[in-house]
Amino acid sequence: MNLGFRHDVQTLKWARSTTFWLAVFLSLGSMPRAVRAQDMSFDIDEAESAGGAAKDKGKSKGKPAAKEKEAPAEETSAEAGGGGDVLTELTAGGSKKEAEPTEGGLPREKEIAEKIYAVQRMYVLRRGRFEVAPSLAFTVNDQFVTHNALAGSLNYWVTNVLAVGANVLWHQGLESESALDFTVRRSTRLAVPITEYQLGANLNFTYVPVYGKFELFNDSIFQWDSYIVGGVGVIRTRPVAEIDPSVRTFSFDWRVSFNAGIGLRVFMTRWLSVFGELRDYMYLEKLENLKVALGSGTPGSRTDTATWIDPSSTLTHNVMMHVGITMFFPFTFEYRYPK
Amino acid sequence: MDAKVMSTMKRFAITVTTVAAVMALAGTGPTAHAQDVAVQGPLAGAPAVIGLRIYREMRLQIQIQSTMTLQDEFSRTFLFGGQVMFHPTDWLGFGVWGGFAAVNMDTNLTEQVMSKGQPTSLNVLSLPKPGAFAQQIGHIKWIAAPQISFIPLRGKLGLFEKLFIDADFYAFGGVGFIGLEERADVERAAALQVCGVTNTSGANLSGAINCLAPTQSARASRTAIAPTFGVGLSLYMTNYLAMTIEWRALPFAWNTSGTDESGNARGNFPDFKIDSQDRLMHFNHMISLGLAFYLPTEPKLSTAGTE
Repeated sequence: MNLGFRHDVQTLKWARSTTFWLAVFLSLGSMPRAVRAQDMSFDIDEAESAGGAAKDKGKSKGKPAAKEKEAPAEETSAEAGGGGDVLTELTAGGSKKEAEPTEGGLPREKEIAEKIYAVQRMYVLRRGRFEVAPSLAFTVNDQFVTHNALAGSLNYWVTNVLAVGANVLWHQGLESESALDFTVRRSTRLAVPITEYQLGANLNFTYVPVYGKFELFNDSIFQWDSYIVGGVGVIRTRPVAEIDPSVRTFSFDWRVSFNAGIGLRVFMTRWLSVFGELRDYMYLEKLENLKVALGSGTPGSRTDTATWIDPSSTLTHNVMMHVGITMFFPFTFEYRYPK
Repeated sequence: MDAKVMSTMKRFAITVTTVAAVMALAGTGPTAHAQDVAVQGPLAGAPAVIGLRIYREMRLQIQIQSTMTLQDEFSRTFLFGGQVMFHPTDWLGFGVWGGFAAVNMDTNLTEQVMSKGQPTSLNVLSLPKPGAFAQQIGHIKWIAAPQISFIPLRGKLGLFEKLFIDADFYAFGGVGFIGLEERADVERAAALQVCGVTNTSGANLSGAINCLAPTQSARASRTAIAPTFGVGLSLYMTNYLAMTIEWRALPFAWNTSGTDESGNARGNFPDFKIDSQDRLMHFNHMISLGLAFYLPTEPKLSTAGTE
C-alpha cells in the first residue's frame, strides 16, 4: 500500500479572484496538497529527542531497554534530506529486494525487523539553521487606507523553538485609500487624517510554544506549528494632506515602532513551509493638523510648515496579515541519538 | 482620485493573486511525490492513524457561541447564539447556525462624526444633526444560516510541549439570512415640503436641519440573503466537549451609515434620496468563540480497517 499523500485535494478556484482575502485563502487552502506523512504519536520526548544527545539521555532513562536496542548503536546520527521523510527512514533498507529463501518451493516466512523508533523524532530541526521568509502583508484594521507591503525576514534559530532575526517591509506604491475615506468625507464633511508608509524594519524574537499534526482523511499527516513573534524597529511614514492639500506637502520621517504577533507555519518539506502571521506594528504617529492657520509668509501662518503637523502624537496600531513561505538553510540537518 | 485608487487596488490585487498562486503551487507537485513511499513490513497497509477518536461521525453537535463582527465602520455587533449540526460522517455535517445581536456598539468613527460632522446645504439629508448620527446607522439584528460543514483535517496540537489536545479544522458554507435595521427611505424634497422649507441654502439650512432631523431615527427592517462561508478550529477538551473558534464572512450590500451615497439617473451625486440605491457592498466578516457539546457523549475509535 502506498502511504504517500494522495493528490485528491481539489485546487481552490479562488485563485482567479482579484480580492486580497481570496488570495490569502488560496495560499492557505493549498497547504494540504503537499503534506508529509508522519506518525500521529505525540510525546514530550518528541521535542526533547531533537534537543541533542544530552537531553535525549535524560529523557530515555525510563524507556525499556529493548526499545533502546532498536536503534543500531552505530547510528549516532542520521541525515535528514531536504526531500526525505520519516517514513522513508523508517523503511530504510526495505526497498532492497533480496533473493527470498524457500522451503519446499514455498517462500519461507521470515521475521521482519523494521526500524521503528521508540520515540518519534521531530519532523524538522531548526537549531543552528537560518530561515528566509518572503511574504505579502495586508492591513487588516485600517478602514481608511491599506498599508499593504512586500516583506521579507531573516531568522537564525538559536534553539528549536527560539529564533532571533530581522524583517523589512516595503509599503510605498502598494498602499491604497479606501472608499470609506471618500464617502465619509462626502457625507459628513469629516476629514480623517491618514498617513502613508514607505518602509519598516524590525529586529525580532520568535518563540514556538505550540506545534501539532493534522491528518487528512486518515490517510496523510502534515506538521505545523504556531509561534509568537515580537520586536522593535523603525517605520518611515508621512501624513497625507487631507485638510489643506493645496498648501501642505509632507516628507517621510522615521518613527520607532514595536511589534507583536502570532503565526502559523505548515511544513511542506523539511526546509520549506508556508505561513500566515498576524502582527501588530505599534508606533506613535504624527498626523496632519486639523486646524489651518490664517495668513501666509509669516511664522505661525498657513504656509509655515510648523503648523501643518498636529503637535500631539497618536498611538497607531497597524495590524498586518503576512502570508508567505519560509525556507530553511541549510536544507539538510542531522538527528542526534544517545550513544 | 477614485479612478486612481481603483487602478492601484486592481494592480495590486492582480499582483497579490499571481504571487499567491505561485507561492501556493511552489510547494506542490514534485515535492509531494517524496511521500510516495511503499511501506513494507508491519506498517504495510496501515492507515495513518489507528485508534483515532472519531468525534463527529453519527453525532449531534450542539454549540453555544458568541460572535463579534470585525472591521466595522460605524457599529460593532455582538451576537449570541449557536448552532446545531448533525454529522453523518466524521468529515461532513449539516445544520443551522444563528444568533441574535445582544449589543450594537458604536465605533470611534461614529463618535467622531457625532462630534465633528458638519451639515451643509448639500449633505443635510445625509447628516441633518451630527449628534444624532448614531441613530441613523445600520445594525445587524439577527443572523440565521443553514450550512454544510466539511472537516478535512483532524489532529493534535501541543502547548509548550506539555499539554496535548485533539483538534480538527473545518470549513463551512451556506446561505445566510440577515435581519437588518437601517435608516428608513426618505426623499429630501418631499420631507422639506411637509415642513414648508423651500431649499437648504443660506438661512434656510437650519430649518432644513430641523425638518430632516426626525428622519434620522426613522428605522426600517428587512432581511438580506447572502452567501456565508468560513473556517474554524475545534479543540476537544473531553470526549463530548470542544472549544471552537470560527471566522465567518457574509458579503452583502447595506447602508451602514444611513447616508445618501448614490447619484441621480445621470450619475450626478447626490440624488437627495435615502433608499436601496445607497447600499454599498460590505464583506461583513466576524469571529466566533463557542462551546460544542456532542451527543452521544462517547466517540467511536477507528481501527486498522477504518478509513
